[in-house]
Amino acid sequence: MRADLEEIFRDAYPRVVAVAARVLGGRDEAEDVAQEVFLSFGRSAVPAGEAIGWLCVAAAHTALNHLRSGRRRVAREADEAAPDPVPDVADAVVTREERRRVREALGRLPRKAAVALVLRHSGLSYAEVAAALDLSPGSVGTTVRRAESALREELIRHASSR
Amino acid sequence: MRHPAEGTLRRLADEPSAITDPDRAHVAACPDCQETLSTVRKEAALIGAALHTEAAPDVDAGWRRLSDAFAAPMTAAEAIRVGRRAPVPRWRGPMVAVAAVVALLTGATAAVATDWLRVFHTEEIAPVTISRADLLALPDLSAYGDVEVTEEPHVRDVPDAAAASEATGLAVPEVTSLPRGVSGQPVYQAGDRVTAVFTFDGDRAGGPPELDGARFRLTAGPGVAAVWAEDRGVPALIVGRAVAPAAYSDSGVDFATARDHLLSLSGLPADVAAQLRAFTGDGTTLPLHVMDEKLTSAPADVNGAPATVLTSRDGVLAAVVWVRDGVVTAVAGSLSADEVLTVARGLA
Repeated sequence: MRADLEEIFRDAYPRVVAVAARVLGGRDEAEDVAQEVFLSFGRSAVPAGEAIGWLCVAAAHTALNHLRSGRRRVAREADEAAPDPVPDVADAVVTREERRRVREALGRLPRKAAVALVLRHSGLSYAEVAAALDLSPGSVGTTVRRAESALREELIRHASSR
Repeated sequence: MRHPAEGTLRRLADEPSAITDPDRAHVAACPDCQETLSTVRKEAALIGAALHTEAAPDVDAGWRRLSDAFAAPMTAAEAIRVGRRAPVPRWRGPMVAVAAVVALLTGATAAVATDWLRVFHTEEIAPVTISRADLLALPDLSAYGDVEVTEEPHVRDVPDAAAASEATGLAVPEVTSLPRGVSGQPVYQAGDRVTAVFTFDGDRAGGPPELDGARFRLTAGPGVAAVWAEDRGVPALIVGRAVAPAAYSDSGVDFATARDHLLSLSGLPADVAAQLRAFTGDGTTLPLHVMDEKLTSAPADVNGAPATVLTSRDGVLAAVVWVRDGVVTAVAGSLSADEVLTVARGLA
């Protein structure tokens, strides 16, 4: 375990959880992802100065992997236990359904676009996103913009096909 | 002047100072760009709201959890996950014998604690279900004698499959069709044979007199692996092959004698010890430890060879491992069991 881990962890953990939560739509699984990422980071020789970018990118990738692997499980669970739309919980059901649709659409985006989108919306600067993804800072705006358009279109297309 | 690209407008919405003065001036005076900028801002806000999730974690609790994880030996799933996410995956350190795939799958503690079980020629692999608590309770070999590593694995990257094959003498498995979500060229790795000599110490372990000072030479490898990564090195697929573990005794001690004595010392529950006795009865079956809390195992068939499929309970990881002609091959990754089996059955 690297000596600077605790300091980096305390500084970066909320941000890393937030990145994963944006992908997964929930805190519990996001915290699991963050733990995995820090476990990996703790055994790495990533320079401290590059830690936040590395951690956020790893969180986004790992969360997207969870998203992909969990999709079948979510679909199966939905089939097995479709909730009755009880009026007083209808809003919660709708919210959960919307959240699931967003995550599924995110999972269908090209990997780099999805990661850039999540990192930017998690508060990383364009320079940080560029460094993390080996992009030129000037191309981050294009990547993020295209990802936003693609996600919006995915949501619309998926909604209209239901 | 031409209109700035939408990417530039997108950045203008976030970081106006990063945009050049001429572009800013153009947008300020151009109705078309203003309209586009308004759309860009609205969509950014919409997507931002859609992605937003409340997540204010307890940092102290998180740190305690992480500290506990570091205090415990790596599990198989963790070992593979660590390999998946390292920017350039490398298998290093004492946890990884050159039988890298087996060590990777069984995890550090299992590999160290149960090397003595590999005192035979491996012809097949069979899962042994063991709880994390029981696994952690196992002492390592140093509790019973002296272990000296006489050949190091020297795992390193090599340029291509031909170089991996030349370095190890093994035919490198060729993936004919990559699963969905895996692309690009793999990084190839090669490792030399690892050899360790274990000398039984009757003072530490007791046992019958013939065991005191008995020596066993344990070997595994060489091995090769191909690792597919995505973007900044998030590996999605690992295909590995290694000469299966074997062992030799120069003391004439009957393997069953050593096995039964070590099992009696290990503190394993009776049912686990019984599984191990049964598996190792003919000296050709390598137990593959399956931690019940983390993994499930199922039998399968890879082109005629009996295989074991491991799947992490969280659905993130799957692996399949099998032995043919004294060579162990494994396919693992962030895939489903069906996907790793498809890759395994399609290897050329």
